Amino acid sequence: MSGAPFSAGLAEKVKGLLKRYETKRSAILPILHAIQDECGWVQDHHIDILEKDHGLPRVHVKEVLTFYTWYRKSPPRPFEIQFCDNVTCEIMGAKEAMAKIQTHIDKYEAQMGEKAPFRMIGVPCLCVCDGAPAMLVNKDRHLKVTVDNVDQVLAKYAPLPK
Amino acid sequence: MGDSLTKVKITTAFEGMPDARSLKTYMSKGGYSALKKALAMKPEQIIDEVKQSGLRGRGGAGFPTGMKWSFVPKDDKGAKYLICNNDEGEPGTFKDRYIAEWNPHMLVEGMIISGYAIGATKGYIYTRVEFFDEIRWLETAIREAYDAGFLGDNVAGTGVKFHLDHYTGAGAYICGEETGLLSSLEGKKGQPKLKPPFPAVSGYLGRPTIVNNTETLATVPWIITNGGAAHKAIGTEKSAGTKLFCISGRVRKPGVYELPLGYPFKKFLEEDAGGMLPGYKLKACIPGGLSAPILLPQELETLTLDYEGLAGAGSMLGSGAVMIIDDKQSMVDILRNTVDFFHHESCGQCTPCREGTGWLANIMGGVASGKGRTGDVDKMHSVAKHMGGRTICALSDAAAMPTMSIVKKFEHELTAYIEKAGKHA
Repeated sequence: MSGAPFSAGLAEKVKGLLKRYETKRSAILPILHAIQDECGWVQDHHIDILEKDHGLPRVHVKEVLTFYTWYRKSPPRPFEIQFCDNVTCEIMGAKEAMAKIQTHIDKYEAQMGEKAPFRMIGVPCLCVCDGAPAMLVNKDRHLKVTVDNVDQVLAKYAPLPK
Repeated sequence: MGDSLTKVKITTAFEGMPDARSLKTYMSKGGYSALKKALAMKPEQIIDEVKQSGLRGRGGAGFPTGMKWSFVPKDDKGAKYLICNNDEGEPGTFKDRYIAEWNPHMLVEGMIISGYAIGATKGYIYTRVEFFDEIRWLETAIREAYDAGFLGDNVAGTGVKFHLDHYTGAGAYICGEETGLLSSLEGKKGQPKLKPPFPAVSGYLGRPTIVNNTETLATVPWIITNGGAAHKAIGTEKSAGTKLFCISGRVRKPGVYELPLGYPFKKFLEEDAGGMLPGYKLKACIPGGLSAPILLPQELETLTLDYEGLAGAGSMLGSGAVMIIDDKQSMVDILRNTVDFFHHESCGQCTPCREGTGWLANIMGGVASGKGRTGDVDKMHSVAKHMGGRTICALSDAAAMPTMSIVKKFEHELTAYIEKAGKHA
């Protein structure tokens, strides 16, 4: 097993979750949430720890990890953008706002020669269509994000390339 | 015959109120008095009251709630569960979010009453992970209800046991399907299960389980307080009560509106939602979430918003998500976006859905990027036609229905786009 062990707090949390539901298996989703919240993503050695120290078969953990899109299987950037690209958001201008964000990301990486602090993916409906276009930056929800105001929203997180 | 024009506030009763989410505010307006009334009734009486109310599932399928509850085996003395499907994900829908924002205690109270009615001693609220604030608000409401003695081993001092917990999803539309949700709650990939057996007989961990939508459960306290007959008097004969409608797109006032069922579509769009934004005209409407077949302006003229009205127009009430498509939109984009969504969200276990949504997405991807071919429109229709009624859950049908309706009603626009792109190439 390589990689850091769970922090004392996380280990306690995992133990608590394993007792919280009717079966240990039901705790897998909440446990992966807890790991991601603390570590940013779910690594192979986390799966080892869950199997060896907590008795969760790796096949069960990997089933959940690979099925659900929320769990990250690679390290996150400081600011992970999830932009809703579904019908209402597209009608209200998501495509144009997303193109602008991507331009900033590409420009940053070309200018600085390193990974941008932002990364963006399109996601299905976030169910805030009355505030379309909608996006998440990490766990912050932003509404009515258009090509006209997207720069102001992003600038709150990190400076944009010139 | 009910009334379809007089507005009644049931699930939006606390909308806009200061400190709306707190137990204190809820109690000050008579909150948890329905629970006390219900606990003095026999469980069968509650089920009868809900049957009489005409309440139908508000998540999309519209199945009669009281009847669903009556399928739970009464002679089974083992564990039973009540699950709130708060995994709102149908594109265009944002009403359950609204309940968490304004009325979380109404949901909690509705769950305790419903749990008592079906003999469940444990409940879960399953919410999509992206509702961060909403989850926090729901967890707070649960904690407050425990502190006030409304949850636990001795609900309101009556000896009735009902525990409630919250469970967070992880990004999968399919978990809004009730058996997919149960798989997820069991800590598995969220794949739907073959029915029968229905969850009422064999659900969470193989035990009798009722899965109800958030809005459905939040309506229950009002029914207990006012009586099934009072609920039945709202709306139409077959569509009783109010419904939360979510309107989005280029309208002046997008948002959540509680309307009596049977309310005229035109009145909703023009008066409540303020009409189209200046410079935009109504081109079409997806009236019940993305799974619902699309309707044209002439089909919307006299449409009423109820189960039978929408079915009569060839669509469905669904989740009450009214997605307005304006005249600046290309139906190529709308259809591409729609099939991409279902392709992304297909869980992959049934071939007609996995492959069908894949083909639809591939064909439309080609069309949208200007590489469409003569015959693509027919091919879309043919693929979609073979996707219905052949799978474990309704996602495949949900992808096929809007596809076929858009292909049929906008064939000219799709064909013209393909031909024009062909000439440029």
